[in-house]
Amino acid sequence: MGQQVLNGIFLGSIYALFAVGYTLVFGVLDILNLAHQAVFMLAAFIALALVADAHLSLWVALPAAVLAGGLIGIVLERLAFRPLRGRADSNISGLISSLAVATVFEAIALEIFGPDISRFPQGTFPDRVIHLGSATASLLQLCIVGISVVLMAALTFLLARTRLGRQIRAVAESPRAARILGVNIDRAIALAFFLSSALGGAAGVLFGLAFNSISPDVGRGVELKGLAVIILGGMGSIPGAVIAGFALGLVEVFTVAHLGSSFRDVVSFAVLFFVLIARPRGLLGRAAAREA
Amino acid sequence: MGDLLLAYQSLFAFVGINALLALSVYATLCCGQLSLANAGFMAIGAYTGALITLRAPAVPFIAVLAAAAVAPAVIAVPLGLPVLRLRGVFLAIATVGFGEVVRLFFVNWDYTNGAMGLVAIPQRTSLWTIALALAVTLYVLGRLRGSRFGYALEAIHEDETAARTMGIYTTGHKLAMLVLGAAIAGLAGGLEAHFTFMVAPNGYGFGRVVEMLVQAVVGGTVAFYGPVVGAAFLTVLPEVLREVGARMGLAPGPFRLLLNGAILLAVILYLPNGLVSLPAVLRRRVRRPA
Amino acid sequence: MSLRRKWSLSLVLFLLAAACKDKGAQAPGPGGGAANAGGAVFGAAISITGAAASYGAQQRAGIQAAVDEVNSGGQAKVSVIVEDDASTKEQGITVFQKLINRDKVSAIIGPTLSNTASAADPLAQQAKVPVLAISNTAATGITDIGNYIWRDSLTEAQVIPGAFKKAQEKLHFKTAGVLYGNDDVFTKAGYDVMQKALQDLGVKVLGTQTFAKPDRDYNAQLTELTAAKPDVLVVSALADNASAIVAQARQRGWTGPILGGNGFNSPAFIKNAGGAAEGVMVGTSWNSLSQEPANQKFLAAMKKAGVNPDQFSAQAYTGVIILAEAIKQSGGKTGREDIEAGLAKIKDLDTPLGKFSFTPGRDAQHEPSVQQVKDGKFQLVQ
Repeated sequence: MGQQVLNGIFLGSIYALFAVGYTLVFGVLDILNLAHQAVFMLAAFIALALVADAHLSLWVALPAAVLAGGLIGIVLERLAFRPLRGRADSNISGLISSLAVATVFEAIALEIFGPDISRFPQGTFPDRVIHLGSATASLLQLCIVGISVVLMAALTFLLARTRLGRQIRAVAESPRAARILGVNIDRAIALAFFLSSALGGAAGVLFGLAFNSISPDVGRGVELKGLAVIILGGMGSIPGAVIAGFALGLVEVFTVAHLGSSFRDVVSFAVLFFVLIARPRGLLGRAAAREA
Repeated sequence: MGDLLLAYQSLFAFVGINALLALSVYATLCCGQLSLANAGFMAIGAYTGALITLRAPAVPFIAVLAAAAVAPAVIAVPLGLPVLRLRGVFLAIATVGFGEVVRLFFVNWDYTNGAMGLVAIPQRTSLWTIALALAVTLYVLGRLRGSRFGYALEAIHEDETAARTMGIYTTGHKLAMLVLGAAIAGLAGGLEAHFTFMVAPNGYGFGRVVEMLVQAVVGGTVAFYGPVVGAAFLTVLPEVLREVGARMGLAPGPFRLLLNGAILLAVILYLPNGLVSLPAVLRRRVRRPA
Repeated sequence: MSLRRKWSLSLVLFLLAAACKDKGAQAPGPGGGAANAGGAVFGAAISITGAAASYGAQQRAGIQAAVDEVNSGGQAKVSVIVEDDASTKEQGITVFQKLINRDKVSAIIGPTLSNTASAADPLAQQAKVPVLAISNTAATGITDIGNYIWRDSLTEAQVIPGAFKKAQEKLHFKTAGVLYGNDDVFTKAGYDVMQKALQDLGVKVLGTQTFAKPDRDYNAQLTELTAAKPDVLVVSALADNASAIVAQARQRGWTGPILGGNGFNSPAFIKNAGGAAEGVMVGTSWNSLSQEPANQKFLAAMKKAGVNPDQFSAQAYTGVIILAEAIKQSGGKTGREDIEAGLAKIKDLDTPLGKFSFTPGRDAQHEPSVQQVKDGKFQLVQ
């Protein structure tokens, strides 16, 4: 029982970390960025290359890959989203342009890294098991939960307390009003993409470390769950994404424990479905009706 | 020449089937609703049709196809009533959830062999069956344009709240289009199942419905035939790229994926109204320098 | 705005150029469509992109090595047109029709996935073009399509029961916990056979859990399974999932034996699972340790190509060897009917898989083996 709670928290922290970056862009632009999973994947490969080929320490590679993820996010915004700004159908066309860029990213990864599953070299992270009562967790798992919480807290602080964060929130609220107030919208959005993709990149590296599996399609597995999490949490709500991430992790684990694993994803999507019916804007979604 | 036609006849069939699927997404898109339940509807149609053919081979094909279209349409009603209250991406994700539940149902259903699916389905679909189904669907959607019902849909597309205050029964109209879309997707599923000899749950995931949406939007949703253009373009493109790659002496590989993505991006950025607007855009370009 | 658009377009073009240039450097593959002058032309429909790309890469390497091998032998000249089916049944069908009607190949190797095979093989059967499946393991829907469909990959039903029997003799287990991927044909087919094999051996199954192919976290399932304290853990998974499952089971404190299916038999499994792979026992259709000359030749060829071979490349390699033998059997003739007749005559052919024959139902027949991971390597269990 205690073990399953730990399993759920661990799984949930991965979902949450993937989702907070995702929901940031969603909150600012009202656009689902289907390339988020590709940034997740590319950052994991970049960290892998730095550790395995350049023989750097993980503690150098992780921040470097996170930074690279953020930069890829800026490129992504220029390529797929900025040209669409102001177009009436930008939410659907943005979905498609981001999908196109994701395809290009995946092709590039396939070309450079090949289709096989790669992993970080043995011993990149100390292999230690920690006993918590009757349950066990690895040091890596605990670190991942810790890093996730720190990154999510940092993002929340950044958005709430800094000038840049306030600008991003102003753009999310109303681009027109933000412009009148003198906010450089292009810059604020680029920054949102940088933060979003950096977090996505961090999630990718941690995922690759935790599960020893990095491949060009690794992001596909988390994409749909991440989507479920940000919708469950409520449009653009960072705390919502965190809560929903952990909630989904726990729901999945307890479905496995009590109903059987074949029902796991059915239950996840059924929960998503019924939460939306009951609370059309998600758990912590803003009440103000904005048509997406 | 005959052989060449034979070599690509399946490609024509897939153009037709994908066109139907893109139209099924267009059906809800044209009243402003982004519903992504269609891979699930397609799965229901495909399995319904396949099961009838395998268990009762005497049933005529037209009846099998009718069942493939009706089954998802019937399910669309109780799905649509609660779901269509949702807007935008929330509707999209709720319907994605429905589609995943349908796929997982077939993954877990032993009667249809789970992941292995149903195999050895007799090939009953021919090119002209697909062409006929496409023609009928286009006729129905074309007739909607310009009709009273069609104007109501356009009004809902423009502004749902205003449409409701004008006295348009928005829920009914939206539901009707969801059901129509479900029927078209189910029909396409039934046709495909009897063309590809097999059905399996993996063919009906999230990726499939995204593909349908992409084809509809790339073709252009300003005209009812836009999705057909988009489906034709995006279905033929990988095969054209295969040919290009072979001519350039490239081994098959990721470059096809790469070009596919890049061309998709170019179309969506430079042709906001889809491929159907290409002639108008070209005309404008030509006129300007003159 | 238009300036920015130009900027973004040029970036796309740059990426394209970069990727294409890279590709061009290593272009001389079996692809390209240009057939050798003279000799037999075969087609191969394999998954080079999409979900099954990692198997497709192994298969392409195996095919290439075998083509070189056959052509250097001088008895028969063969070339293989390799096409990518993108792991989808639609492109699989399109590729089959292109190979049959345009390239007029004598026979087709593939496709990678069983689902694609059930969709595309009937077309070859209708056109009377022999198909040699090299990785399809589904029990039904492949060779029962018709008399032109052959395969050199053993089905799980031919490998698992014997392997489990041998494992029970060594390990004396009476109870088992079972974990399998239920959304994939390969692993689901494996599970069906495993379940029956365990039943036949009188092993009590204490718990059964499933996962989906994209999953990477199996802690919840493993916690449930290990809590029931079975004697052995039985896993049906592809190499992608297998290494993570084994690693996480060990992390959960599972020290007991683990039995795997065909999908485990990959060097990538040991590489990715690391020390956790120790003691894992697998039934396999390809014995990588075989000292037979045919296998040693294969291993040398793969080493030269810089590919770490697994059963997928071994079976693909064997596929070309079998087709070349079929040409020989029919007196050097390379028509479709000649190949078909030649295939029927093949008996006890030396291949990397062992002495190879076809069953009357055109399925593969050769000796499977049981291997166990010891000191970071697969070792044969006698």
